[in-house]
Formats: sequence, structure tokens, C-alpha cells
Amino acid sequence: MQRSCCYLAVGLTVLVAGCGKGPQAEFSLREETTDLIPEAQKVVKTTLKEKFGSPHELIAWQRFPVNYGGVKGSVTEVAAEGKSVVVEWDGDATQVAKDAPLIWVSGARTGEKTSVGSVATYDAAKKELTWTGGSDPAPVAGDKLVIGFGKSLQTGRAVYMKNCMHCHGVSGDGNGPTAQYLNPLPRDYRSGVFKFTSTLGPEKPTRDDLNRVIKYGIPGTYMPSFLWLGDKETESVIEYIRWLAIRGEFESRVDNDLAGDFSQKTIEAAAAKAKANYDAAKGKEKPEKPQSAAAAKSAAKDKFAEYLKSDVPELIDGSAKFIAEAWAHSEEAESLIVPSVARVTDDAASRERGRRLYLSDKGKCYTCHGIQGRGDGAATEDFWKKPGSEEYYTKRGLHDTWGKPLQPRNLTLGQYRGGRRPVDIFRRIYAGIKGTPMPGFGRTALKDEEIWDVVNFVMSLQYESTPTKAKAAEHVVHSK
Amino acid sequence: MGRFWAIFFVATAVIAVAVSWFSPALHWWFPGDGKAHSNLGLRIDDLFHLILVIVSITFIGTHAALGYVLWRGATIKPEDKVLFSHGSHSLEVIWTIVPAGILLFIALYQMDVWAKYRVKSFSPAETEAVAEVTARQFEWRIRYPARGKKLQPTPQPDDVYTVNELHVPTGRPVSISLRTEDVQHSFFVPELRVKQDAVPGLVIPVWFDVIDRRTGKNAMELVCAELCGWGHYKMKARVFAESDEEFEQWREKIAGEQFDDGFKKAAE
Repeated sequence: MQRSCCYLAVGLTVLVAGCGKGPQAEFSLREETTDLIPEAQKVVKTTLKEKFGSPHELIAWQRFPVNYGGVKGSVTEVAAEGKSVVVEWDGDATQVAKDAPLIWVSGARTGEKTSVGSVATYDAAKKELTWTGGSDPAPVAGDKLVIGFGKSLQTGRAVYMKNCMHCHGVSGDGNGPTAQYLNPLPRDYRSGVFKFTSTLGPEKPTRDDLNRVIKYGIPGTYMPSFLWLGDKETESVIEYIRWLAIRGEFESRVDNDLAGDFSQKTIEAAAAKAKANYDAAKGKEKPEKPQSAAAAKSAAKDKFAEYLKSDVPELIDGSAKFIAEAWAHSEEAESLIVPSVARVTDDAASRERGRRLYLSDKGKCYTCHGIQGRGDGAATEDFWKKPGSEEYYTKRGLHDTWGKPLQPRNLTLGQYRGGRRPVDIFRRIYAGIKGTPMPGFGRTALKDEEIWDVVNFVMSLQYESTPTKAKAAEHVVHSK
Repeated sequence: MGRFWAIFFVATAVIAVAVSWFSPALHWWFPGDGKAHSNLGLRIDDLFHLILVIVSITFIGTHAALGYVLWRGATIKPEDKVLFSHGSHSLEVIWTIVPAGILLFIALYQMDVWAKYRVKSFSPAETEAVAEVTARQFEWRIRYPARGKKLQPTPQPDDVYTVNELHVPTGRPVSISLRTEDVQHSFFVPELRVKQDAVPGLVIPVWFDVIDRRTGKNAMELVCAELCGWGHYKMKARVFAESDEEFEQWREKIAGEQFDDGFKKAAE
């Protein structure tokens, strides 16, 4: 009896210990960040930590057009000498309760004048609220406050960690644990580039674009449909993904600026090159002995100390401003692609016009998508240069901006990754696919009517009769 | 000590029976409201209940016998003589023939339900093929024919598509064509008692008749019942059973969205 109790105790201990928490998730740094000289690296790291926090302690930087959640309220009446207020809520007031976090977003109590407080008491019938954190300065009627700020972001994180993280990674770098088994690879959000959008070429995606992808998935890839997530969960995870993309793009912009002078690799390469030049010229003249890599790094360190004071605050501010504006702008009506004419009647004549455009020099669709639309155009056989360099990719064919090989779509499969509505395909042709070599034809090469002709042609490719056996055999012989 | 164990094991069996007895009232039972929502499902449930009764009687009988043996063994006095037995031929014959008879009965009794579900000549003659359901890692992609048309084995220009949302008309037998794009999956609608593996390379017709209207929050769950990979748990969809009218209205609506050319919005 005693012995069995002993075994039981040991077994239970093992069980409980086995269920302990794993290591805490952390946002990873970009390679460009870790390549900076240590001093610059430290600045990037602390800025990210300060402005965005960590996965377990999110910080909602209010500069960005992200809906961080919570319910907004507006003070209608001030009572008890400024110690209590009556509030008109704009939205669901059920989350207003004791201890809910409270921040003031307009009036004398905004910002750093008061610490983040919480609700002390709330009378739901009278809509009367008191708070912790003192009553100086006192609020006045018309002041605005938010209760439960950041709630949506937290919900988004929970949904993301459960459903998205294992492919898209903790920091949205498309490098989660399952990513290595997937082809095509999961999206790396950190450049702020999303492929399937309804917006013009340089714009970010809209919330609705992300919603469609999450709800209906992307056929032909590993992105499944998450239709069964609740509306609240979907909305929150969209905000979280936008926030992750903003965080990643912010890091990337700061890195790009600093990399010019403070990248270790660049400094080392420059020093090596200078040394090689020096060695080559040794016999002829008396050139100046170049700086060693270590000396160059030390010089960069001094330079950075200066740069930190003069330019870094502006760099951080400027990057945030640029990104915030870009995301806000994508939600505006002028960013959306709306065809100026209705779809041209899908008849044989329109398809024929579309086919001619497809094969013309104006469209040049065939160079990538192939003459028969099978995604086997000549461009897939070429070697291409990496953008902004003289170096070639090691693999044949096209590559996306993430540097990964990319197949032009086989249009005969009837598989439409960005949606199968005619307007989806119109938008693909009009503005191209962001992050890929698919260019936009709208406003430049093709008129809207012409784009509709191409849409009609492309959508008919799936239904074309398959070649007869005799023809197929002939083709094989011919290609040999 | 012997008496303790005798009581312990009998009590275990008693608790098991009691919990099973109360479990339907506690909703520890079939999914949804506990009832099957197709005519075939009702017959499958009848079979289940029949087998449950047989198994319950057997369980109670054997445990009563085991409890008795344990108790007798525990309470035997040291001076009592132990009875040695080399087996009973007639007893063995009985406990072989009785279960064999029961099993044979079940095997024969369930045959027409099985045939109705799986054998073409016993299935309802007029089932309407409403949709093609293609499973893939990790979602259900569904294709419907356009209004007034029949489902074709290959995609047609006016087909209507949805993901993770199967709509079917209620009140009559309908069928879906089940396929898979990658590995094996299994089409499982627990509330209809319908389960069918999706096998690569095959198109398998699955028929069912939903008896009542199931829409909105009452929609039934469709899950994958074959471990198909790391995202298996994500393969959830919903089945909406609607009146013919509602079904047509829904199809019109989806078709309208699917053939949207985005132009009208500008005119608004």
C-alpha cells in the first residue's frame, strides 16, 4: 500500500513538472540589425523594446493607425470637485468595470501628466466613473478617455499565437516552426509588403484585404481558411498582423538608414578592399596605408556617438511618421482600385481581344505566364540579377522581393490565390502583385476596357478543351 | 483487505453504470442536442442503442458475477474446504454459443442500414448531387453548380465556390462528391452520423438527408476525422441545412459576390 502511494506521488510529480511553461516567446531581430556595430545595435534594440515591447508585454505605440481596442468615452459632466465624471460611451460599455485600465486621450490629463490609471468605481446606471491616480489636473466636460486600451491587441496576440505563429513566426518573419516544410513559404510581414491587395501599387493592404485572406485562405498555398474564427477574433488578429508588419517595417527602415555607415560587414569589406588596393599599388608609388577594419569600426563608433545625438531621434520619428501615413492612406478611398468601366461582356470577341493583348508587346504576359498560360514563359528559364546589384540569383527563374524563387501562375488551373472575383483579377492586372515581378498595367500600358478583355481571356483558360491525345503526342515529338 | 478490494471493484462498476446512466442528462452524450438529424442517422442511433442495451446487460451480469466471486473469496472462513474445479463443458458451450448468437444477430440485423448507406441499389434512387467537396490541408473547398444546372465532374464557368461552408437543401436526400487534393481526409458530420474517408484519386459520392432546418448558430459542424497533418484540428467547417427557397437565395447571393466586377461601388 505504502509503496503504491509512493509510486503515485512520483508519477504525479513528473506529470506536473512536465506541464511547466516553455521558454517565453521573443521577437527576433533582423539580420541587418545584428550586423550593425554594437552601439547602433543597442539603440535599435532598446527603441524596439521601448516602442513595441515583447510578445508577453506588448506596448501599443499610439502613433500608428492600429485599432488597439478598448471603448472610447467622452466626459459629459464633472462631479465631486473633479473626482468623478459622467461619461457617454462610444461602443460596448460592458468592459467598463472596476480595475479596467484607463487612459485619457484629450484634455488636461493627456499624456505624461498623469500615469496610466484604472477605474476605481463605476456606476453603470448613472454612467458615473471614478479613477485611481489623483484628480489633478481635473478633467473637464468634453475630455476623452479610453477604457481597456490595448485589449484588442492582446486578443489578437492570443489568436495569432494559437493559429498563425507556427508558420508565420513570433515576429511575423515567416519563419515559424512549420515554415521549413512549406512551399511556397509563409509570408514575412516585416517588410510591410502583402501580395494580394485591392489597393494601388505602392499602397499597403486594407483591413478588408487581410480579412479576405484570413477568412477564405489562399488556394494553392498552405494558407487555409479561418472562417470559423469568431468576428472579434478575426478583427483582433488583423490588427495584430498590421501591428507586427509595422513593427517589422520600422526596424527595417531604421536599419536601412544606419547600414550605410554602421554595418559591420560593409566596414569590413571596405577595409579589405582598401588593403587589396594598397597591396597592389605597393611597388609603384608610396600610397597611404589604409585603415584596418578594427580602426574603421572604432571610427564608426565615434561617428555613431555623434549621429545618435544629431540624427537618430529624427530617424525614429521620421520612420514612424512615414509608416503611419502609409497604413492610414491605404484605408482611404483613393487608394482602392475601382474599375472605371463595368466588366466587358465575356464573349468570344472579348476573349480574343484579351488573347491578343496577352501575346502583344503591350501586355507581354506570355514572357512569364507562357504562350498557353501554363506559367512556363521564357522568363522562367533565364537567370535574373538581384535587385540593386550586379549579382545573379543562383537559380533560374523569377524571384520575389523576399529573395525566394517564384513560379508565374499557371493560369489553366483555375486557382486564384488572390480571389476569384473578376474584380480581384482586374486588380491583379491593374496594380500587379506586390513583392513579385508581376507588374501593374493600369493607367499605363492598358486601358480599363483592355484589362477586362485580358481578365475574360485569363478566366476562360481553365475551361479550354484539353488537347486530344494525338495532338499531345505530336507536341512531345516536336519538342524533342 | 480482501473485502475492501471486493467492494472497491464492485463500486467501480456501479459508479461506471451510474455515470453512464446520467450522462445523457448531463450532455455527456452525442454532439449537438444528442439526436441524429438525418433519417439514416436515426436508424444508426437505433442500432447503437440496441447494442448499448446488449452490452449493458452483459456488463452488469458479468460484474455482478465477478463481485460475487470476489466477495465469496474474501469472506471464506479458514476452516471451509476449497472447491477445485476442472471446468464445465456445458458452461463453456453456453458462453460460446450465446455471444456467437448475439454477434450473428447484430451482423444480420444491421445489414440493411449498411446497405442503404453504402450500396447503390439500396440507396435512395433520387439523390440530388448538390456540391463537390474537396478536402485539402487544412480546409474544405466546396463547388456548387449554378442554379438550375447539374453538378459536373469538372469545373464550369458558372460554378459557385465557398470555403468551409457547406449549404444543402433540407428534407430530401442529397449527395456530395467527395475528393481530396492531397492526403487522406475524412468527411465527418457528427450530427448527421455521416462519415466517409476522402481518398486521393477517387471521387466518392456521399448521400444524406437532413430532416430539419439548421441555419445560423444552429449550423452543424463538419470536421476531418482522419489525422491528415499538423493542422488537422483546423479542418472545421459548417453545414447549413435550409429550405429549397433559402438555399437558392443563398446561392444567388454568393454567385452575385463571386461575379462582382467592383464597378457598381463607384456609382453609389
